[in-house]
Amino acid sequence: MRLLTRRLPHPPAVLRRGPLREGAFPSRLHDPRVAALLGMWLGVTFGVCFLTGLVSHFMQHPPSWLEWPARPTWFYRATQGLHVATGLASVPLLLAKLWTVYPRLWEWPPVRTAAHALERLTIVPLIAGSIFQLATGIANIAQWYRFRFFFTVTHYWVAWITIGALLMHIAAKLAIVRANVGSGRAGRAELTDRLSEPEPEGAGLSRRGFGIAVGTAAGVITLTSAGQFAPGLASLDLLGPRRPDIGPQGLPVNRTAVAARVLTVARDPGYRLEVVGPRRFVLTLDELRAFEHHTSKLPITCVEGWAADATWRGPRLRDLLDAAGVPSGATVRVESLEARGGYRTSEVNPSHARDPLTLLATGLNGADLDLDHGFPARLIAPNRPGVLQTKWVHRVVMV
Amino acid sequence: MRTIGFIAVRVLLGAAGLAALGYGVDGLLTMTRATHPPQAARWLVGGFLVHDFVAVPAVAVVGLVLTRFVRAPYRAVVQGALLVSATVALSSLPLWRGYGGAADNPSVDPLPYGRNLAIVLGTVWAVAAVLIAARVVRARRARALPAVPDRP
Repeated sequence: MRLLTRRLPHPPAVLRRGPLREGAFPSRLHDPRVAALLGMWLGVTFGVCFLTGLVSHFMQHPPSWLEWPARPTWFYRATQGLHVATGLASVPLLLAKLWTVYPRLWEWPPVRTAAHALERLTIVPLIAGSIFQLATGIANIAQWYRFRFFFTVTHYWVAWITIGALLMHIAAKLAIVRANVGSGRAGRAELTDRLSEPEPEGAGLSRRGFGIAVGTAAGVITLTSAGQFAPGLASLDLLGPRRPDIGPQGLPVNRTAVAARVLTVARDPGYRLEVVGPRRFVLTLDELRAFEHHTSKLPITCVEGWAADATWRGPRLRDLLDAAGVPSGATVRVESLEARGGYRTSEVNPSHARDPLTLLATGLNGADLDLDHGFPARLIAPNRPGVLQTKWVHRVVMV
Repeated sequence: MRTIGFIAVRVLLGAAGLAALGYGVDGLLTMTRATHPPQAARWLVGGFLVHDFVAVPAVAVVGLVLTRFVRAPYRAVVQGALLVSATVALSSLPLWRGYGGAADNPSVDPLPYGRNLAIVLGTVWAVAAVLIAARVVRARRARALPAVPDRP
C-alpha cells in the first residue's frame, strides 16, 4: 500500500510548457461538478447500452441453460431500439464529458504516486473503448464497413473492456462525485480536494447553458432517429438509417435475395418444403399455400435497432411440427436455401416453435412474400432478432 | 465519512471492473479471426488520439475564434447551437456523407439525408436566432432604462 501512495519525484519545472502550464485551460466548464453530473448521465446511457447489448448477444448465442420466452412480443424491439438510441444519445454526452475533464490530460505533475499512475492508465481503455463503441456502432447501423474486423464480435468484446474500465473509473472517482453532487454535498467536502469552485463571471456558455445544450443535442438526436423503431415517431425519422415503411411491400430489408445468392433457387418451380420429424413429409409450394393458414401481426426487429410492423400470413409452425409428429418439447432448426453464410440456419426453441403467433409465412401485407422478404417461405416469430427470422426456408428439422 | 462500507463498495467496483476488462481483452485476443486484433487496436488507439490531439484542439480553436468575433451575451447561444449542430452531424455522419448502404438494397439509408440534416440544423439555428433576438431586445431595454428620468 505504501508503495502505491508514496510521492514520486517531480519532473523538472522547465518541462512545464504549453498545455501543461498552470491556468492553461481557463474555461469555467472544466469543473468537477459538471464532469460528475455528465458522468452520471453517461453512466446511465452506457449502462443501458451494455445491458441491452447483452440481451441481444444472448438472444443470438443463448447459453444452454437459457431459453428465451416468446413474450412479450415487443421485448426485443424495445431493448434493441434502446440500445441504438442510447448509443446515439451518448455522442454529445461523451464529448461534453471529455471536454470538461480535458485539462486532466495535461495535469502537472503527470504522475504523483504509483496509484495515481494506475488510475490514469485505466482512463486509456475507457476513452478508447467509448469512442470505439460509438464510432463502430454508428458505422454499423449505416452499413458502412471501413474496418476489417467483424463488427458484432469486436463490438461485443470491446463492450466488456469499456464497461470494465468504466466500473474502475467509478471506483476511482466515487469520492469526487459524492463531494460534488447531491443536496448534502457540502457535508462530504472533505472526501476530496477536487471541489467545484463557484462559477466565475464569463461571456461564453455558462455551466447551466452547457448542460442545456448537451441535453438539447441528445434530445434532437433521439427525436430524429428513434422513429426507426418507436411507433408514432416515424414522421420525425429524418436522420435514422431506416424508415419502417420504406422497402419492398412497405417493409425494410437487411439482406436481399441477390446478396444472399438465392435468386434462382428461390424461384425454382421444383421448390419443396421438407419437414423432418418422426413422420417426415414434403410439400410443394401449392400444398404449402393450401395448408391451414393464419395471420400474425408481428414486427421485424433488427439487431441494427430498427423495427417495423407487418401482417404475415402462412401456416403455424406448430401445426407443421404436429403433422410431422415432432414432440412439443423439441427444438427445431430452420434451414434457408442460402448455400452459405452465418445466418443460413437458425434454431427455434419450444417456446417460440409452439407459439400460436409463429408462422412459416408465405404472405406479407396482403400479398405473396417478396423475394427479398424470403419467398417462398420465411420464419416469423415473436420476440426474436431479425437475423434469426430465417428467410427462403426449405427445411425444418427436429434437432 | 470514509466508512468501511464506502471503501468496500469502491474495492468491489474496482475488482469487478478489472475482471470485466480482463474478460474483454481475453475475448478480443482469443477470437482473432473475427476481431483482427491489429486492426481493432489501430481503431481503438486511433479514436483516442484523434479525439485528444485533433478534435479537442480544433474545438478549442473554434472557441477562441468565437471570443474574437461574437460578443457576450450572444456568444453563449452561438456556442450552444454549434455544440448541438456538430454532435447531430457527427452522430449521423455516414448518412449525410453518403457512406455505407448497399447498391442492391434501397431500404438501407433510404432518405435524402443532406436535405434532412439541413432541416434539422435549420431548426436549431432558427431557435438560436430567436434566442439571440430576445437577448438583443433585453440588452436594448437594459440600456434604455437608466435613461428614462424618474417620474415625480
